[in-house]
Amino acid sequence: MELFDNLGLGIETALRLENLFFCLIGVALGTAVGVLPGIGPTATIALLLPITFNFEPVTALIMLAGIYYGAQYGGSTTAILINLPGESSAAVTAIDGHEMARKGRAGVALATAAIGSFAAGTVATLLIVLFAPPLARVALTFGSAEFFSLVVLGLIASIALARGSTVKALAMIVLGLLLGTVGQDTYTATPRFTFGVRELYSGINFVPVAVGMFGVAEILKNLEDEKTRRVITNVVSRLWPTRDEFRRIVGPIARGTVLGSALGVLPGAGHVLAAFGSYSIEKRLSKRPNEFGHGAIEGVAGPESANNAAAQTSFIPLLTLGIPAHPVMALMLGAIIIHGLPTGPTIIQDEPALFWGLIVSMWVGNFFLVLLNLPLIGIWVKMLTIPYRILYPTIIAFAAIGTYSIGLNAWDVFAIAFFGVLGYVLLKLDCEPAPLLLGFILGPLLEDHLRRALIISRGDLTTFVERPVSAVLLVIAVAALVLAILPAIRQKREVVFADEDEP
Amino acid sequence: MRNAFARTPGERRTPPRRGIAASLASIGLLLAACQGGGSGASASGGGGDGGEAGNYPEDQITFIVPFSAGGPTDTVTRLVAEPMAAELGVEIVVQNVEGAGGTVAAEQVANEEPDGYQVLMHHIGMSTAPTLYPDLPYDPLEDFETVGLVTEVPMTIVGSPNFEPNTFEELVAYVGDNLDTVTYANAGIGAASQLCGLLFEEATGLDVTEVPYEGTGPALDDLLGDQVDFMCDQTTNTTENILSGAVKAYAVTTPERIDALPDVPTTEEAGVPDLQVSVWHGLYVPAGTPAEIVERLNAALKVALQDQNVIDSLADLGTAPVPQDRATPEAHTQHLSDQIELWAPIIEASGVTAG
Amino acid sequence: MLAVRRALRDILAGGVFIAFGLAFAFGALAYDIGTPLRMGPGYVPLSLGILTAALGVAIIIKGFIGGDSEGLTGLDWRPLILISAALLFFGLTIRGLGVAGALFGATLLAALGRSRTPPLEAVAIAAGLTVVSILIFIVALQLRLPLIGDWIPV
Repeated sequence: MELFDNLGLGIETALRLENLFFCLIGVALGTAVGVLPGIGPTATIALLLPITFNFEPVTALIMLAGIYYGAQYGGSTTAILINLPGESSAAVTAIDGHEMARKGRAGVALATAAIGSFAAGTVATLLIVLFAPPLARVALTFGSAEFFSLVVLGLIASIALARGSTVKALAMIVLGLLLGTVGQDTYTATPRFTFGVRELYSGINFVPVAVGMFGVAEILKNLEDEKTRRVITNVVSRLWPTRDEFRRIVGPIARGTVLGSALGVLPGAGHVLAAFGSYSIEKRLSKRPNEFGHGAIEGVAGPESANNAAAQTSFIPLLTLGIPAHPVMALMLGAIIIHGLPTGPTIIQDEPALFWGLIVSMWVGNFFLVLLNLPLIGIWVKMLTIPYRILYPTIIAFAAIGTYSIGLNAWDVFAIAFFGVLGYVLLKLDCEPAPLLLGFILGPLLEDHLRRALIISRGDLTTFVERPVSAVLLVIAVAALVLAILPAIRQKREVVFADEDEP
Repeated sequence: MRNAFARTPGERRTPPRRGIAASLASIGLLLAACQGGGSGASASGGGGDGGEAGNYPEDQITFIVPFSAGGPTDTVTRLVAEPMAAELGVEIVVQNVEGAGGTVAAEQVANEEPDGYQVLMHHIGMSTAPTLYPDLPYDPLEDFETVGLVTEVPMTIVGSPNFEPNTFEELVAYVGDNLDTVTYANAGIGAASQLCGLLFEEATGLDVTEVPYEGTGPALDDLLGDQVDFMCDQTTNTTENILSGAVKAYAVTTPERIDALPDVPTTEEAGVPDLQVSVWHGLYVPAGTPAEIVERLNAALKVALQDQNVIDSLADLGTAPVPQDRATPEAHTQHLSDQIELWAPIIEASGVTAG
Repeated sequence: MLAVRRALRDILAGGVFIAFGLAFAFGALAYDIGTPLRMGPGYVPLSLGILTAALGVAIIIKGFIGGDSEGLTGLDWRPLILISAALLFFGLTIRGLGVAGALFGATLLAALGRSRTPPLEAVAIAAGLTVVSILIFIVALQLRLPLIGDWIPV
């Protein structure tokens, strides 16, 4: 019954007027920065940190956390409407979400994202309440060998992201991995492929790659199509999913939530892997896999839930071990330290009101997000009625100014042009951008963990199969690869036979 | 032993809870704080007005941190920026410019207008960069004016909870006997944890297998999870985990024991007096900044280092502000050149460079 | 010749991957390769570069077996050049001209990328967008970007 006492304390804390108020401010601000490309939650939280010195610690953390998950939420709005994923995990939502928007179902896509996020956020919050400490202990048993195998599995699963050829998807993944090697090597600090440009020492920035490959490449494609045929439907039929569509999204939301909650606990790119992983699973399980990539509602519901669940559970290592899983969590840790609070494993005992208050506030924040966003859907959808001749220069302007503001780095803006043209050329050759983007995000993780695992095992490659978790992950990866390639080979044979049949 | 942390909520230093009215007022500040949006152009954008010291500061000042937000250097910066801003009467925006072991940020500040609006907070890496990066595009002594030292953070040698040795002597013996299995985690070339490891190797004559990470956060993660054996990290990161028993502490790398960890012996007590390293932080402005501006910043720094919240927060992290006589440009310059000379031979002997 | 025309799309796609793969692989040779047990900075880029090129070859082979280049059209150069130019212009002039000038130039170039937009309308779109962007980013979000840059004497 201690749990109920704790929850009671949390509810009491989270529902205090000023905490409610700053939770609302946080999620609203988060949604705003999430919608605009470039200015992400990390920059916003870093900027607002000094302001929160004057707040009570719990209020400060509630607002900063609100910015974080609010931004996850806002990021999917632009991904769906104009194919401009500002956050890495929203890249998956863009695949089918934007297709839905093109077919006049933008409202349904946005509503699905909202419903999925809320459901996942609620469940993930409950999971933190019940399982935070044991989950954190499980996460600690993941060493570099396990991470390497997990990343390999994630990469292979991402073949499912592409509509067309398996080989092309694989090639895009590997090209993404290759682009990810640009920058200073962690192990020797050797700058690689930087051409002496110091701005490239920390690698190519994610935002210009995503904005170029998705947003700009599509603009180029649309301007070309415009001459031959008009593709964009501006007619918006309805905002709400039908009863049948509701039935279709229940499963993906449930599975996405479970996957996201589990992967979110892992440090690094947990939420990205969760979103991509959920998409692959839904495509594999669906009775209509051909719809994926052409506006399948499951392809929005699953990844959005996974992404949001992971955003919540990524607080677990921070709150139970004092270890930040990614930069936003590092900033939260900084906030805790600056407020003079303990940061280690003792935070639950020492500051119960802070711990439980923050957790309950996440649920409250998710509730606010739905309240804020559902009425907004109608307004967002109106954006699509802007004539394309005005809309696309707007996207270019926002992309340029948003990306430039991240690091005041002109190279980031040049990179948008480079990746825009590359994405356009590849798109014309039937190579889709999503696998490349995943490879690009996971590339540095793959290399670091591979090399680290080999140093720890003194160069013994069997470390990847001797460690049980790693071995299981690799077996699943191999199975997934075989499953992906088999139909391709069979198809090839059929084509060969077909050729022989008709001389 | 846990006095530093056993504060009851009532004793917390943070200001008392504010009413909603005051909270509303701070909302206005929210948007004002969005100024900066990863800025850095604020002063240089104005251009050409460098050198005017009379009314400094008139505009918001940007503190450039060369490492990621949330890291130890970032935390120290944000701690002192707050009282410094109050003292100077303008806003201070903290901006993180990461990359290349802090040299990207240093190069950026070296090339800014010398008008006191772009201030670099850098740590010990300022003194090791000239040796680690053979083609460094700036000179730490020539291209900057020093403002003053801020703090010296001690380091602790810690081991994973299941690592066999329990004392520093046992550690040295165990590592010597198990060189082919023991692993030492660090945060990459040029990181304080790597320098500490170099000193450990030099002091003990052992060649330990190093496992590099992207930062000490992930390294500590693997240490807690028993994936690597031991590491050396700043007290800002390790104190809480040592006190809670999550990691084993072998020694602190300072001449004297530190208040936050009274039970942990010094390396000197453990018999290796040469293994002494602390991560010192200092503030820099571009060379050519008028002396009055440097003085103004230094005066604000001195005030900030006497701020009770700064002292208490640093104490929780196992460190303290430097004494007032070391928070001066002279002491800072002296320390910087001493450290450059100290580290050059050690790094050269180890053969690591980021060429 | 028929086979080549049918496989054209895959030949071009494979060519892109081979070019990138080989470029990275040759670039990686400049760095220490190391051994599989103790990888240097060049090891992973070299292997990935070779793998990329190999997949490029596989795509070409597959193109000859079952390729289909239906609907393959040439690049549309006007938007490609003008939109790239818009982004380059923004990056090159943001410090010198400031947000107002850089944005106006960039949006004008971008708007001209669509051949059916008349020049006068493009100017109007650019002017409107510059004002709206400044209102959103500079006035509302208070990004500290210079409105007027160093090149323009005030």
